[in-house]
Amino acid sequence: MSALRRALDWGKLAPLRLRAKSVADGVYAGGHRSRRRGAGIEFGGQRSYVPGDDLRFIDRHALLRHGELLVRQFETETDRTLCLLVDASASMSYRGEQAPGPKYAFAALIAAALTKIAVGAGDRVSLDWLGGERTVELSTAGGREAFERVVGALETAVPNADLHADLPALERAVARVERRASRGSSVVVLSDLLDLPTGAENALSSLGVRGKSLAVTRVLDPDELSFPFTGPLHLRAMEGNARVETDAASARPRYLAALAEQDRAWSERLLRRGGSLVSLGTGDDPVKAVRKVLDAVGGLG
Amino acid sequence: MSFLVAAALGVGLLIVFPIAAHLLRRGKARERAFPPAGLVPAARSVARERATLEDRALLSLRALLILCLAVIGATPFVRCSRLALSRDAGGSVALALVLDDSHSMRAQGPDGSRWELATKAARELLSSAREGDAIAIVLAGRPARLALAATTDLSAARRTLSELGASDRSTDLSSAVGLARTSLAGLSHRDKRVVLLSDLAGDALPEGQPALWTPLPDLAKPLENCALVSAERRGRRALGRVACTSPAAAAGRAVSLVGAKNEPASPLSPRAGVQELTLELDPKLQHPELELSGGDSLKADDRAPVAAESAALGVLVTADTSNASAETGGPPVLEQALSALDGNAALHPMALLPDDPNELQNDALVLLDDPGGITPEARTALMSFVEHGGVAVAFLGPRAEQTPLGATLEPFVHGAVHWETRTPSDIDEASLSWLGPEASSLHDLALRGRAALGTSDLLGARVLATFSDRQPFLSERALGRGALFTVALSTSVEHSNFPLRPAFLALLDYFLNEAQSRRGAAQSVAGSDWQFPATANVVIEGPSGSLPVHERAAASGGPQKSSSPALAGRYAVRTDERLEERVVTLDPGEITTRPQKPPSSAARARGANDGQNVDASPELGFVALALLALELGLRAWRQRGVTSAPARRSRAS
Repeated sequence: MSALRRALDWGKLAPLRLRAKSVADGVYAGGHRSRRRGAGIEFGGQRSYVPGDDLRFIDRHALLRHGELLVRQFETETDRTLCLLVDASASMSYRGEQAPGPKYAFAALIAAALTKIAVGAGDRVSLDWLGGERTVELSTAGGREAFERVVGALETAVPNADLHADLPALERAVARVERRASRGSSVVVLSDLLDLPTGAENALSSLGVRGKSLAVTRVLDPDELSFPFTGPLHLRAMEGNARVETDAASARPRYLAALAEQDRAWSERLLRRGGSLVSLGTGDDPVKAVRKVLDAVGGLG
Repeated sequence: MSFLVAAALGVGLLIVFPIAAHLLRRGKARERAFPPAGLVPAARSVARERATLEDRALLSLRALLILCLAVIGATPFVRCSRLALSRDAGGSVALALVLDDSHSMRAQGPDGSRWELATKAARELLSSAREGDAIAIVLAGRPARLALAATTDLSAARRTLSELGASDRSTDLSSAVGLARTSLAGLSHRDKRVVLLSDLAGDALPEGQPALWTPLPDLAKPLENCALVSAERRGRRALGRVACTSPAAAAGRAVSLVGAKNEPASPLSPRAGVQELTLELDPKLQHPELELSGGDSLKADDRAPVAAESAALGVLVTADTSNASAETGGPPVLEQALSALDGNAALHPMALLPDDPNELQNDALVLLDDPGGITPEARTALMSFVEHGGVAVAFLGPRAEQTPLGATLEPFVHGAVHWETRTPSDIDEASLSWLGPEASSLHDLALRGRAALGTSDLLGARVLATFSDRQPFLSERALGRGALFTVALSTSVEHSNFPLRPAFLALLDYFLNEAQSRRGAAQSVAGSDWQFPATANVVIEGPSGSLPVHERAAASGGPQKSSSPALAGRYAVRTDERLEERVVTLDPGEITTRPQKPPSSAARARGANDGQNVDASPELGFVALALLALELGLRAWRQRGVTSAPARRSRAS
């Protein structure tokens, strides 16, 4: 039994390796098409000519018929890099009474399933962390071995760090991802987006520029999504020093409104940089969750 | 308190647990981790207030529940001030409640009158009775009465108890206890008890089974009291009789005439017992009353109406002083015997029976000793007297056979009476047993003769006693409201030693009682029977309103009406068209008799039937169940409030 299993109760999401394979098998795992267009085999459509385009691809039939300069585009299957940035801060260890496992476990399952799919399609995968203990950063690698390494790293890590006021740590993690992600890479951030330092929105949304596709996946516990508590409450944040004494019935609507507002703000910020926000609950079906993420990064388009 | 009681009550200490839990919960809500705590708005005051209110209700319920359980555990051992029946054998109980409704029970104490305490105790005992228990209620005011024969109908017992009231009767404890024991004798219950709720101021309590239980010993505390037991007119003066329990009760008190400010009061001498005082009457007062100054435990007996002078029982005696007197001289033996029997009887000696009925108006009893015949006028007057409630007695002697022409012995005897000298020497004791133990003294009489009364001579009279040869000795003939008695012997000691025997006095006492009950004494003791003819229309108004008149069988077998005034005071009695005033007085013995100690058997019974343990487990069990249901209901209500809030939100969204 690994040290991680002693440290974290994975609940119904264990064992990660088998569960990830099962989830990946449930997702349509065909080769994803590159968004890069240009030289290739299959026709991928036309677009207007802009100066600098290769003159070999001018569609002379369209020029003769319509008198317009159009450039033919071709798609080609090409290797893509999947860059995973997994939040292993303390808040990710939260598990409510209705949840099948902690948020970190669900995020790890999604990450492992994505890795399995990517590796199966011949893509390469890298892994980086936000916070956490015993974390192992994995540089870009492909093949079956890459999956095993990613799963091993995910199982080894222990969610335990306070990122609430540690913006430099977050920026360092983002910088590492940026270095690994080349143009056309898919960046998937798996986090609860809670207790992050001020400025985290800018730092994370910057991962979606320069030809990369960014999907920020927000993983929340059912308790965090519905606030099912009753009676008087004394709540303590797992990162930072936030403490609040409240009454569940009166606080519930205002909390849910604040959560929705936070989602909306993240979504707007990411859209501005070409990214997208995927909201998941740990109680969701992992297969559907992975599909959502793939949709967000264009993997199944 | 035994160890078991302490241990059972110790369960109540568990109440500290819900209190501690409440305090802990109320002090601070349990802190829990919640990552998005920063998004949750604070509502401290609302949370604290809600927790406080809801928890207090639950805390109260749980505390009460624990206390109930503790008391249920200790109930069989807890001593309670409420009286109740213990059931050692667990079976049904036959219970005779002896309630003393005598005058002394009207004494007031700090918790109410003794009568109220006694009836309250009786109600408590009845409330602890169960289906199958037999209840009898006996009243110990004189005469002792069976208010309710033993019955298993508990509602009837409660109804009877609610209808009872205090009275001014004297006390008859021994008869009441005997009556109570008799009422239980025929019951099949194994557990029989006689409960005596009395101040024990009366005659000695009889020993016997079932043993007495006197659960209210506080009632037997001596009280300081003086009472105006009676008052009657004597010419222009009033004679008041005052009875006091002790010299201290009489000290500094005086008797005065109500409404006569100028008349001086007569001070009491500071001594216990009965004393008589005389006061001048104001002729202007139509219904004079005497009043006792000062205060004591019984205010009700400090005032008494003055009865008319004719209140004393009038007895007309016709006797030949030459024959009927003793050799030592003095009045005739008959008069001497009457004086010895009743000092209050007003004797009217006359040589001959009067011819005018009005001359007999003030008399209730006419005694004729050896009458030598009754003239027609005298006979008419006598019959009128008897028909209006008088009692006439003829002691026949040798002169009975020497009646002059035109005179007879009617209405006593029809025809001529033979005085025979050869007679047996004994009276049949069995035929005279109704007279009491004195009847046994009428044997071996030195008879020198007797009036030979044939049955046909007695005009349909009923023979009450006979000689040993079955010849009539005493006969009774009812006539109107009154009665005629014929005795076959005279009161002269020359003819027999009959007047020297105790039975002679007993017989005279019987005649006096008959006269008193038939004529109705103008002054009688509370509880005495007033008898009226069955055909008479009788209306009685007393201090407490109309007095009920009951119809019942007379001793002679025929129907008659009777009433028993229980309260002292002035009564207006209307019999057909005749209106008379009667005064009911107190028995001086009721005032002067001190409470006695319960007999030893009563103490034993108290120990054996320690019925003051109240088993309230069923009631407490119901209370505990109700509390539990209440808590469950409260919790369900709270839970529904919690679950319905999200449902409302989801519907709204």
